[in-house]
Amino acid sequence: MARKTQQVETRLVAEYVKVNYSQFPAITNQPLGVVSAELMAEIGYSKAISMSRPNRPEVDAIVLLPRYFLIIEGKVWHIVDGMAKLPFYASLIPVTPELKEYQPREVIMELVVPWTNPNLEIMCREHNIQLRVYKPDWISDVVNRVTEYSTREYRLAREEKLRNRELLGLE
Amino acid sequence: MVLQNHVILQDNQPARMHFTDHHIEARTITDPNTLQPAIRRTLVFNVDRLNGIPTQAVLSTMAENLASQFAPYLEDKSYVNYEVIVTQRGVGYTRKWTVQFIPFSK
Repeated sequence: MARKTQQVETRLVAEYVKVNYSQFPAITNQPLGVVSAELMAEIGYSKAISMSRPNRPEVDAIVLLPRYFLIIEGKVWHIVDGMAKLPFYASLIPVTPELKEYQPREVIMELVVPWTNPNLEIMCREHNIQLRVYKPDWISDVVNRVTEYSTREYRLAREEKLRNRELLGLE
Repeated sequence: MVLQNHVILQDNQPARMHFTDHHIEARTITDPNTLQPAIRRTLVFNVDRLNGIPTQAVLSTMAENLASQFAPYLEDKSYVNYEVIVTQRGVGYTRKWTVQFIPFSK
């Protein structure tokens, strides 16, 4: 079956980190939160981390600044969800075993979005979240595709394209 | 020198690597759902150091989630300026990767 999804927010965050923080160590998709000490003692560190996975949210990126953990969420859609997660993620940083070696550092937060609005800016300011607008050229194409997706013409054209890809063995 | 041609990522075990080059190749696989042959694009990195030990190996992935994390570093091959730690978690479609980029000093 031809490919139907695209990692938009992963690409947005990876690119943003590279463009703005390339001189610092950075971690993407880092799970956060405690891993039970009893579990680790019982079945070992690796298995305990694995079993804890469903209970550990993942932050899009962490940049290890000299004095700070900079935690980053990137959102193209459902932007408020991304903003809302950040303060909760920040509370888990001090207890995350994978980050222990980088402590002590304070936590600062950034929300990366391709566009903004006044209400978002107010909410971010109120919760000490830096709002960063990052709009690479390719993001407009993605947004246009999603906007057009609900139209009959676009769906038909896309279905034909996917069929042709399979027929030609391109995917 | 580590005698290993392919870097095999183990669940929850970080692999620290340095990449020297990359290419994208088409591979024919058997689709696990349809059991039919299918062509997939694969991102392949040449690895010259694995967990601090010199090696000549490749790391390859068909996963768009992992490839997307490397995407900004491909065009200018700026991954050569970093040591990269990849930690794989989960199985099948729920598999995810934590990737750490550490600026590399020769």
